[in-house]
Amino acid sequence: MKQDAFSKLHPAVNLLFFIGAVCFGVLLQHPIYLLAGIFASGVYYFSLNGRKAIKTILLMIPLFIFITLFNPIVNTRGVTVLFTYLDRPYTLEALVYGIAVAATFVLMILWLGCYGKVLTGDKFICLFGNLAPSLSLLLVMVFRMIPSLLQKAKQIIGVRSSIGKGIEEKSSIKNKLNSGMTVIGVLTSWALEGSITTSDSMRSRGYGTAKRTSFMVYKMTKTDWLFGVVMLILLGIVIFFAANGGMNAEFLPERNITPIKGINTIGFIVYLGYLLIPTILNIKEVIQWNISKSKI
Amino acid sequence: MEHFKIENLNFSYPTSKDRKSLDNVSLKIEKGEYIVLCGKSGSGKTTLLRHLKTVLTPYGKRSGEIYFNGTALKAVDNREQSSKIGYVMQNPDDQIVTDKVWHELAFGLESLGCDQKTMRSRVAEMACYFGIQDWFHRDVAVLSGGQKQLLNLASIMAMQPEILILDEPTSQLDPIAASDFLNTVRKINTELGTTVIITEHRLEDVFPYADRAVVMDSGKIIADDTPRNIGKLLHEQNNPMFTAMPTPVRVFFGANGSGDCPLTVREGRAWLNKEFENEPEIKEIPYENIDEDIENPALSLKELWFRYEKDAPDILRGVSLEIPKGSISAIVGGNGAGKSTTLKTICGICKPYRGKIKVFGKPVNKFKSGELFRNCISMLPQDPKSLFVKKTVKEELEEMTKDKNQINDIAQICQITELLDSHPYDLSGGEQQRAALAKVLLTEPKILLLDEPTKGMDSFFKETFASVLFSLKNQGITILMVSHDVEFCAKHADRVSMFFDGQVLTTDTPQKFFGGNSFYTTAANRMGKHIFINAVTAENVVELYCKNKGGAI
Repeated sequence: MKQDAFSKLHPAVNLLFFIGAVCFGVLLQHPIYLLAGIFASGVYYFSLNGRKAIKTILLMIPLFIFITLFNPIVNTRGVTVLFTYLDRPYTLEALVYGIAVAATFVLMILWLGCYGKVLTGDKFICLFGNLAPSLSLLLVMVFRMIPSLLQKAKQIIGVRSSIGKGIEEKSSIKNKLNSGMTVIGVLTSWALEGSITTSDSMRSRGYGTAKRTSFMVYKMTKTDWLFGVVMLILLGIVIFFAANGGMNAEFLPERNITPIKGINTIGFIVYLGYLLIPTILNIKEVIQWNISKSKI
Repeated sequence: MEHFKIENLNFSYPTSKDRKSLDNVSLKIEKGEYIVLCGKSGSGKTTLLRHLKTVLTPYGKRSGEIYFNGTALKAVDNREQSSKIGYVMQNPDDQIVTDKVWHELAFGLESLGCDQKTMRSRVAEMACYFGIQDWFHRDVAVLSGGQKQLLNLASIMAMQPEILILDEPTSQLDPIAASDFLNTVRKINTELGTTVIITEHRLEDVFPYADRAVVMDSGKIIADDTPRNIGKLLHEQNNPMFTAMPTPVRVFFGANGSGDCPLTVREGRAWLNKEFENEPEIKEIPYENIDEDIENPALSLKELWFRYEKDAPDILRGVSLEIPKGSISAIVGGNGAGKSTTLKTICGICKPYRGKIKVFGKPVNKFKSGELFRNCISMLPQDPKSLFVKKTVKEELEEMTKDKNQINDIAQICQITELLDSHPYDLSGGEQQRAALAKVLLTEPKILLLDEPTKGMDSFFKETFASVLFSLKNQGITILMVSHDVEFCAKHADRVSMFFDGQVLTTDTPQKFFGGNSFYTTAANRMGKHIFINAVTAENVVELYCKNKGGAI
């Protein structure tokens, strides 16, 4: 599978980025910051998934609208009442707050979507393998089991149908259930038998004879360190401005949103820059590649 | 000092009261030796091998002693045994623990608690030595059987063992992957000096290179000598294991040859050259031509096209084939060529997007659902385990029919009467295959499809299996099998078809088909080709040899 430039960095750097992006995405309720978050995550999501991303992003719109409109129904605080229903007020502040909640929600989904693409299961395990070796091995074995069980199930169903014991469309629900149970039964005994071999193979390769270590297939390079340090610095700056109230936004009961002006602009630019790191990296790679290609 | 010394080892499993699985076994293994352990299935080979590593030693009653590098094996700690004694098992899939190739390579080293630096260099070394670089980052789920077994070997070699024990490592592989694997093992032995003990059905690939062959029968070692002498010994004893010997050996003794016994095709050719310095008079064995036009074929496939996914390449690209009633037909061809897929389309597991399948002249889609598999078509799958759903073989058969007599008849034909009360998983590979066949036969098929029926069978079981097929053929059942096993097809099929590039290219009798090939053919044909025209089995070569030399010498 082709990897984007950001995914090629060390998983620890990837993880740091997503922790920063998601945490601030949730903590900062300031509309402009939320907009920046949606923009950055949307662009990166698109560059990871290509055309398939458009469908997901379009699906976000009804979700966005639903959350926005729903929030005032459960939350009745706010001073500007738009209308009342069943003796409950529907307030403008709650509606605006709904927008913020919806935006948070959408950008979370987008970031997590990117996270899934970038930090695949094996990378995650690689990161935490040393902390909990047995747990991470268990996870790895589960990852291995799932595709092999699915494949075996398919095989069994095919084989049974070719001796006339298949699940037919016309057969009753009881028969279908029975056939399904049979397949699961075969699958279980097959898996159990296989697991004996697996455990033999593990013990014969010294499992349990020493404290397990974890093989790191990824190595921290200078670039990785550089990116890690830059990200930490940027995050530090964002925290500084956030702590000084430069990014405050209150919706309830009254709207009170700090404008992005003067010194606070720096905070915003730094935040946006942080979020765009993967995208910038990708664009840089494309340009670099084209330049070097044109030189050939 | 010997690497391994086994002294008077006796062993019996708790379930088999008196029967000894190992009976007074004594064996010495020198450093750097390449030893082949042969014997029928159930002769105690695996039991013996498992005794060479404490964690794998089966539970039961035991006496005798095993020494590893001069110390009792029991006294050697687990950690040392793990790294110094490598053990490769039969099933390529189940041995793999993790989900990524790189992780699997490092698994043993991780268990031993190696540091990053050592692991990094060892893993890199192994990946290069075994040619794994290209699939280093892949999921193990996407590897072929041959790649999986190579990965198992590599992940064991990463621990730098002194001795490598292999228990039928190639029984689940196709011939080309098997031969690759065995060549790698030989390379490890010659280049690294690692001691190798291997049990193997495919003796043609290991016999010529082995230093010693050890033959076991019912838990006893009955012969322990150089491969060249073993052939002679087994022939003199009239031992059933003789059928497992490589073709040149069987031809040599079948023809009562004198001098040194040939082990490889090259030596076999040289020997035949010496015997026939003048051209022999009779160069062909009689054969029948097959009819090109088949009247009322049992099965006819016309221009089948199929692919698994919309964007995937076509697997079947216009397969056309006609199978006459009451014959044994075989389709041979490379791995992944689409042979099994062809069988799946006949069974309706895969639906071709173009083309017609007719069964006894009636298009398949005209059969009502289920009707096709009642008294008509049945398929024996590649993995017999996928058929077993019950606790005993008898219950398996009862799932198909209530008729006791029918069950007994079929059990007799498939020679599994004694196995009826066993759990299907307790049977050996060959027995499982026959039990599965019995189950399939209870649908009373007129056409029987077999997918790689001889996979994992030893030569002795193959003959038994062939006799089962013949009795079915005599009952008028049409048999179509796809197989990698050219020797089996040459010996037992009436018609052989070549599958290549998604099509059936040619169909002919085995004599004509293999007789015309120079590469994709049997060892017997490669050995005798320069002298005889169409001798494709060891029996053919022996027959022609005797005819020319004036009967038996």
